[in-house]
Amino acid sequence: MSDFLALTVTAMVPFLLVAQGTMLSGRSGIFNVSQEGLMLLGASVGYLVSLQLGSNVVGLLAAAVAGAVFGAALAWATTYLRLDQFVVGLALFFLAGGAASLLYRIVVGDSDVKRIHPLPKVLFDQDLLVFLAIAFSLVLWWWLYRTDAGMRLRSVGENPKAADSLGINVMRTRMLAGTVGAALMAVGGAYLPMAFAGTYADGVVAGRGWLAIALAFFGGWRPQFILLGSFFFAAMDVLAQRAQVSGIGLPHQFVSMLPYVATLVVMVFAFRWARVPQFLGRNYDRESRIVG
Amino acid sequence: MTQTLVAARPTAQDRVRTLLGAAIPYVLAVIGAFLVVAVIVLALGHNPLEAFRAVLTNSFRNETGMVQTLKKWVPLTLLALAFAIPLGAGRFNIGGEGQLILGAVGSVAVGITFSELPQVVLLPLVLISGVLAGVVWAGIAAWLMAQFKINEILSTVLLNFVSFEVLDYLASVVWPDAGAGGAVTLPIGAGAELPTIGRPPMHVGVLLVLLVSVVAAVLARRSVGGFELRAVGLNERAARVHGVRTGRVAVVSMVVGGALGGLAGAIEVAGVHHRMLEGIQSNFLLLGIIIGLIARGSLTAVPFVAFGIAVLEVGAGSMQRVSGTPVETVLILEGLILLFLLMSDYVTARLRVRAARTSAKAALA
Repeated sequence: MSDFLALTVTAMVPFLLVAQGTMLSGRSGIFNVSQEGLMLLGASVGYLVSLQLGSNVVGLLAAAVAGAVFGAALAWATTYLRLDQFVVGLALFFLAGGAASLLYRIVVGDSDVKRIHPLPKVLFDQDLLVFLAIAFSLVLWWWLYRTDAGMRLRSVGENPKAADSLGINVMRTRMLAGTVGAALMAVGGAYLPMAFAGTYADGVVAGRGWLAIALAFFGGWRPQFILLGSFFFAAMDVLAQRAQVSGIGLPHQFVSMLPYVATLVVMVFAFRWARVPQFLGRNYDRESRIVG
Repeated sequence: MTQTLVAARPTAQDRVRTLLGAAIPYVLAVIGAFLVVAVIVLALGHNPLEAFRAVLTNSFRNETGMVQTLKKWVPLTLLALAFAIPLGAGRFNIGGEGQLILGAVGSVAVGITFSELPQVVLLPLVLISGVLAGVVWAGIAAWLMAQFKINEILSTVLLNFVSFEVLDYLASVVWPDAGAGGAVTLPIGAGAELPTIGRPPMHVGVLLVLLVSVVAAVLARRSVGGFELRAVGLNERAARVHGVRTGRVAVVSMVVGGALGGLAGAIEVAGVHHRMLEGIQSNFLLLGIIIGLIARGSLTAVPFVAFGIAVLEVGAGSMQRVSGTPVETVLILEGLILLFLLMSDYVTARLRVRAARTSAKAALA
């Protein structure tokens, strides 16, 4: 059982970081859909830098910077140029995914696969990022709901016109939230080679980025519920792997389906819970006379 | 006597001018994307001209290249339409992959169970059951959207993941092919296979898709449904005020998208693989989305853009062989074309504002 818990907690980290990044960005109104590509980029950059410099921490930081660049590009294109968020996000998803494989191809090429060291274990046989990710989720909850700055961020996502009229800089808030959110997504991706395979492959993300979007909706765009939701997703993931290996009397495919079907069912029964930021995915035009 | 005002029919010259005006951003975006990629290829130490020649000519050098390109063009066009039609109503169908897989499931189910039937009966049945399965799969998302206001991006993405498991279950438990490695179903009956034409053989699904894309383009431009679709996409509130049942238009657009995704799956089964296997969906969903977005929702443009992307995809491998440039550069190229096309929207809007300003100043002076 404790074994199951340990595996689940490790599997939870990428979901958690990426979904919180999605949430942070979305709470300011920027709906990022390039998670899958940003995670791949983070995994590639994180792996390559760790391999070259021999330090996982530097690798994670480099991944964060790479993600931040893409996040800033998305935020800039959707605030100052007011381009369609979804379309720009998908274009960046393709670019990030292509850049990730290209970087790996250039640096490693067809030479032998080298593995990087896993992150060192600090407590309960878990690495530091596990605790950081959980602590960060709690801090994020406190920051969003108990500080002025957090409330300003939320107000930009709910009603930017009202926020603007009260002197909140909508553009700057969105730029910051979009950049930091994307950096988190890349870090979530960089965790994959460090925690599991020890190396990079093009299929390393395997749809986790899209699931993180689902998770943000599942958690009602609130950090505390996203924390619970990512634990649930990770537990199902581990359970399905276990069912595949040892069998639990049910075809493992049905266990693997469970988190997706459960998410849909929860969404059906949770109207009030499943609310989204009012201005999610919509650009703010200061000069527009149409409100909302 | 009352004078009725009728909009003048645009002259041929006007038409050519608007067409050219619409083509300029495309040309600029493609040139810009190729230039940036040329810099990347140079930085990698390869010859960009050689790389581009390999990418662009591979499809046209011989019949094999052409058939390969057309075989890619078929699912790409269908999935791009499956994305672009709901996009017309402002809905995002990210479930083309799942709809394709379910279409494949529907057609192998019929193709294996009734494998004895003659072709006249079996082939239409296989195609129809594929389409219906796609309709059901997209219908779930559409129903959740209409009834419970569940975001369609969320539901279609989740249904994609469910469909992978359905495929895996059917291919490794229900109809597994013991001889094949991995998750592969038994082959469908001979009567379920699409006939082929030419040499090297090309399945006739390509003609079917040509027909479908022409019908879709005509309906989008000339039918009431197509008009309502555009009205909802452009301004949902205004459309509702004028009596369009916006909810129903959105649901129907999703279901039509699902039908096309299902057809893509059925054609992949009946024309290409003659069975269902893991990974049958390839990367068609992503490329379909790219095509739909590059075509900017114009169903007329979709088949042409799809052909261009199919050429790039088929050429990517030969580019790597000939010039050593990694295949990933093609993905970057496609992303850049899309991004530059978006940027050109912004630039043309700014230029229009500036032109209006100077003409206003001239009028005042």
